Amino acid sequence: MMFKIAFRSIFRNARRSLTTTLTIGIGAAAMLIFAAYSLYDVYILQTTTIERGGHLTVFRKGYFDFGSGDPAIWGVGDYANVVRLIRSDPVLAPLTEVVTPIQGLGGIAENPGTGSSRTFFATGFVPADQARMQRWNEYGVGHNLESTDLRTDDPSQGVIGFGFARNLGLCERLHLSGCPTLPKDAPERDNGTAASLPSQDFSGLGDTSAPRNATPSIDLMSATAGGAPNIVTLKIARVEKQGSKEMDDGSVVMNLGLAQQLVYGRGEAKVTGIVLQLHRTEDIDAARSRLQALFAANHLNLEVRDYQEINAYLGQTLGFFRSMFSFIAVLIGVVVLFTVSNTMGMSVMERTAEIGTTRALGARRSRIRSQFLLEGALLGVLGATSGVAIAFLAAMMINASGLTWTPPGDAHPIPLKLYILGAPQVTVAVWAVLVVIATLAALVPAHRAARLAIVDALRHV
Amino acid sequence: MFRPCIIALALTALATTAQAQTAHEIVANADRARYPDKPFRIIATLIDYKAGRPIGRNIYSVYSKLDPATGQFRDVMLYVDPPRDAGKLLLLNGPNLWFYDPASHESIRISPQQKLSGQASAGDVLSENLAEDYTPTLAGTETIEDAGHKSRVCWRLELKAAGDGAAYNHIDYWVEKDSFTPIKAKLYADSGALLKILYYRNFVVSDGRNRPTQAVIVDAVDQTLVTTADFGELHFQDVPDAWFTRDFLPHLKLR
Amino acid sequence: MHAETEPVARLRDVTKSYKVGRTEVPALHDITLDIQAKRFTMLVAPSGSGKTTLLNLLGCIDRPTSGVVEIAGQAVAELGENALSDFRAQKIGFIFQGFSLVPVLSAYENVEYPLLLTGMAAGARRERTLSMLDAVGLAEQRDRRPNELSGGQKQRVAIARALVKHPQIVLADEPTANLDSATGAAIVSLMRRMQAEVGATFIFATHDPHLIAQADTTIAMRDGGLLKTGDLAQ
Repeated sequence: MMFKIAFRSIFRNARRSLTTTLTIGIGAAAMLIFAAYSLYDVYILQTTTIERGGHLTVFRKGYFDFGSGDPAIWGVGDYANVVRLIRSDPVLAPLTEVVTPIQGLGGIAENPGTGSSRTFFATGFVPADQARMQRWNEYGVGHNLESTDLRTDDPSQGVIGFGFARNLGLCERLHLSGCPTLPKDAPERDNGTAASLPSQDFSGLGDTSAPRNATPSIDLMSATAGGAPNIVTLKIARVEKQGSKEMDDGSVVMNLGLAQQLVYGRGEAKVTGIVLQLHRTEDIDAARSRLQALFAANHLNLEVRDYQEINAYLGQTLGFFRSMFSFIAVLIGVVVLFTVSNTMGMSVMERTAEIGTTRALGARRSRIRSQFLLEGALLGVLGATSGVAIAFLAAMMINASGLTWTPPGDAHPIPLKLYILGAPQVTVAVWAVLVVIATLAALVPAHRAARLAIVDALRHV
Repeated sequence: MFRPCIIALALTALATTAQAQTAHEIVANADRARYPDKPFRIIATLIDYKAGRPIGRNIYSVYSKLDPATGQFRDVMLYVDPPRDAGKLLLLNGPNLWFYDPASHESIRISPQQKLSGQASAGDVLSENLAEDYTPTLAGTETIEDAGHKSRVCWRLELKAAGDGAAYNHIDYWVEKDSFTPIKAKLYADSGALLKILYYRNFVVSDGRNRPTQAVIVDAVDQTLVTTADFGELHFQDVPDAWFTRDFLPHLKLR
Repeated sequence: MHAETEPVARLRDVTKSYKVGRTEVPALHDITLDIQAKRFTMLVAPSGSGKTTLLNLLGCIDRPTSGVVEIAGQAVAELGENALSDFRAQKIGFIFQGFSLVPVLSAYENVEYPLLLTGMAAGARRERTLSMLDAVGLAEQRDRRPNELSGGQKQRVAIARALVKHPQIVLADEPTANLDSATGAAIVSLMRRMQAEVGATFIFATHDPHLIAQADTTIAMRDGGLLKTGDLAQ
């Protein structure tokens, strides 16, 4: 009976109930659409990160905290055996997609044609493994994401950023569009006292025996682990615009062999890390514990870091979205609270006589209170449910619309998709929270209704 | 940091005898034209050129002493010119290079990465201890042009890095036959690529042999970059061992 | 003369005052009376004389400021709020002047409602509700909402609702005031018939002469006090 009364009372004032329901519904839809949007963005960021760098990386102990200034001296020795150990382990093998060694390094890159130079930082990969890693797609966000894979087994070839090519004056040589050359009035270094000295003729002292590469190439210079200067030639296979300016201006992707040649020179070829890419992200903790146990058992001086530790911005992005969501949720919660409270307050006032009658008939105060709480809850259910429906509809329309956007940190636009089905627990949680808020909003009016003096209420016709 | 090319003071008994020389003897002999084995002070002027135009000049007062225990040279260099750098110090002690600025009282280590270019890399070239760190083989004789475009008949030697202390993987070295004058060297990296070409020139006859007063270093990667190093005002003096420690740098009062 | 041993309502020195701001406004003073069971008792008084207040006290929807109110042998003061509600649910029926039906419920549901408050089982509820609707002649209109019923029909629903639980007392405040005389007369006969069937005590506050003519007992009031107690034998 209470349900009947609640239901019919809501529909009695259809316009007011509709407004209230829509307010709740739009609020719910806003939260769900934002959640879907952030989920999509987070999934993309995660997928890009895991495609490039896997889930876990094995380093020499201390490299992560201290090694970035001088990666050459923090290499993992005898890494081939470590890789074999991981690949053949019965616990890890079924969890992992790829196990591959990488080498991080930095130095000075020079364009021999123009003499321009720039500092660079690079990672050396095994091309076949890198290609496999680029196919990871646990969240189904697709492969419209930019990639820096080598796509070649030629060890002397590499990929550089667009800004990098520009800084080294390679625009023309590489036939890049949208790439400006150094303007005529570019600033020049002030040579101070040296400017007054006489010029010299050094012709004939150079060396002409080195052949010029037909393929556009740059020279990469670095100091080896032993401290000696070393230099290799990198043929430019491709230029890829990178999402962040730092990456775009200074990063190089190269073959592991070439990187090792540059960094270790005449010494033992090591690697700075061994990357593991798993099938499922949720297996990270199991894989990490197993790796640690393996290293302890074999007395290896190695440690394991996960992709979130290595890419702090991921956690920051996730945190940002969460805080935004919480902020929106609080705002909407307050609006829903006020709207339902107002609606129920008006309802109580209009039905004062009805309340008095019902009480006179013998209904207890608690029954009256429950009646109005139920109506608040019902408004919440109607509102939240319609909100879910609105969110689904909106998501379907947006997903089919072909709109694109460029996520932060990426360089190319991708289709905009709302992952409305991505996290059903979020939908349920939003729904439940709004129903609870609506019920709570009815608490004060319901309480007032229950406390009405019967005779006063009856007088209220 | 620098190995100034200085004629040895007392090298009279050097052979003009044309006996078959071992590779090691040739290198060791040529080294004595490059630097003396007593503690000394010298003024070194380094000028960087780009496409023939001078783009930078530094003048250093260099104090050098051999460490008999390790066979390595140690140098303390005082910046003399330009005035904005005057008073700064560089300390080369074995594999470590330290920079000290009296204005901040701070000394910092210069890493191998930072020595890849600029005058620091020129210093690396000049300070290579060829006799200690490389294993020489005599490859024959060859006639080449020196940096003054004069023909010279030289022994050609191939030096291979003897260990991690050698900065270059291997070096092609030309020493003038019979006079043991170092003429030219080509320095190669571990990857096999040519890094630098070094010439000695502006020879001055002193104490019975030719001594180079200038080194010319050509960057093999960008051949428009050339650095010249001139050496002068050599005089021998006692250089205390204490000068070659990092902690002592703030207390070093040099002229 | 209907001789009964126990009065169904007993009031002793009852007063009721309301606080209006800081002043006490007396509505009833020194009310002492007995009401006999199974009778039509009329409260006759001009407006503002406190008859509604007295009715409220008899119906246990209000408490006296002082004095004793005893209904169906139960001292009202002894009952807490919830117990009082339950007491009303079991024993007291109301017929209001303005009908006061729940607008969103059908005639059937309005009549059924009090039975839910007594905890009657579904089958018994259905039987009782239907028979009561039948008795007031509204079996055909049972699914209609109040706004689809005429004034007379609404009052009949109210009567059915008041009687459906077979209460001991039925209180009616001007039950025929909003009805035309023909309908009003019909309502009065209906109530008489119901009283005979169910055996409830009816206490009316009214100006309606038809109703007054039916009275077994009349209680006159003025300015919050009783005038006299007349006993008209029927």
